[in-house]
Amino acid sequence: MLARSCLRATRAFAGARNGAVQITKRAASSSSSGSTAESPLRLNIAAAASTAVAAGSIAWYYHLYGPNADAMTPAEEGLHPTHYPWVHQQWFKTFDHQALRRGFQVYREVCASCHSLSRVPYRALVGTILTVDEAKALAEENEYDTEPNDQGEIEKRPGKLSDYLPAPYKNDEAARFANNGALPPDLSLIVKARHGGCDYIFSLLTGYPDEPPAGAQVGAGLNFNPYFPGTGIAMARVLYDGLVEYEDGTPASTSQMAKDVVEFLNWAAEPEMDDRKKMGMKVLVVTSVLFALSVWVKRYKWAWIKSRQIVYDPPKDVRH
Amino acid sequence: MGFWDTITDLVEAATPWSTADADAPAKESTEEVTAETTQEEASSEKEAAEAPEEEPAAEEEEEEEEEEEEEEEPEIVDPKEQLEEECRNSKQCAPVKHHFDECVERVTSAQANGETAKEDCVEEFFHLAHCATQCAAPKLWSILK
Repeated sequence: MLARSCLRATRAFAGARNGAVQITKRAASSSSSGSTAESPLRLNIAAAASTAVAAGSIAWYYHLYGPNADAMTPAEEGLHPTHYPWVHQQWFKTFDHQALRRGFQVYREVCASCHSLSRVPYRALVGTILTVDEAKALAEENEYDTEPNDQGEIEKRPGKLSDYLPAPYKNDEAARFANNGALPPDLSLIVKARHGGCDYIFSLLTGYPDEPPAGAQVGAGLNFNPYFPGTGIAMARVLYDGLVEYEDGTPASTSQMAKDVVEFLNWAAEPEMDDRKKMGMKVLVVTSVLFALSVWVKRYKWAWIKSRQIVYDPPKDVRH
Repeated sequence: MGFWDTITDLVEAATPWSTADADAPAKESTEEVTAETTQEEASSEKEAAEAPEEEPAAEEEEEEEEEEEEEEEPEIVDPKEQLEEECRNSKQCAPVKHHFDECVERVTSAQANGETAKEDCVEEFFHLAHCATQCAAPKLWSILK
């Protein structure tokens, strides 16, 4: 239809090109007359074959891609953690530094026996979690290598504020050997390194059920934890009620300890958070003031242009 | 928690009489006080008569605090487990709990009959745990410090 109407249009428009139009018309009419000359049987066979090919290809495609291919079971995916209303994640909030202090205590008394925190130096703890004297005393509890002395021997010296928190194992191989082949990850950036962040770690620490659900397969040396992808985690439940005695008298329930240590780990991964939020607020305040100022200046400068009136006063006594 | 707290925090931080120490506030420990009192005891008897009165009072306070802490310890119950148990039995999670219980019954009975269970209840457990934690999360955060 479209082709035909186009032809008609061109014919109507361009009388000069009549010859070309005539040729195309003749060609079209001759092909259509040729198809009618085919026997109806062959046409039917062709139609049936093409239909069969179309239907077959659809069926084959559905066979390939149609059914739901569950590459991962929910158990392999792991239970997605619930979102908890963390106070320190709000826009106008800082870390609760008492919680950080409690969390550091939990890390030191519980987690540090297997997990390193190798990117955090003692000096980072000063003023945020510990006082200078406490941090120094803590650093001096550990020994670190000195520079080689005159004989080239490397001796040990007590730690300084500039030293980093010591790792519980010498290297990854030693850690694996001590933990049945499982490597306890370094916790410095763990909040940033796991999907779900704080929620995931809190859920993981507190989510160990008393016993795995019926029929669940738990591998040898593994523990059931719904939040861990694959549900089999080498780390056993470590936080129990009253495990730690807080110096500020907070009841050390499992969830309280988990919450504190997660906030501490978030601090370890993101110690700049407080400053970052402060700087963000400054930027927002200053840029909004400057923007408002620039809008005012623009309006001020353009006021006479916008408010001027151009009047065309035609000459009245003009005779043609 | 809210916006007003932020403002009060800011005001508190800005007030000239507030202090923020990086170091521990200079506070004399009780041991030093007792040491001083013993020195005073040696020096003069009159002062010594007064000092011991203060000493036991301070000790008693400390003991009381310790006792309170000790009393609290055995009573520590994890609020998370408590709240989640309540949530699991609540009306909100009744359908998923029903599914989970049914699954557990099915699988355990199959295992009891010596058959190998063709399924596990992990998925049902996930749904139940999701419902329970979702329901308990805001309540838990209002309790925890």
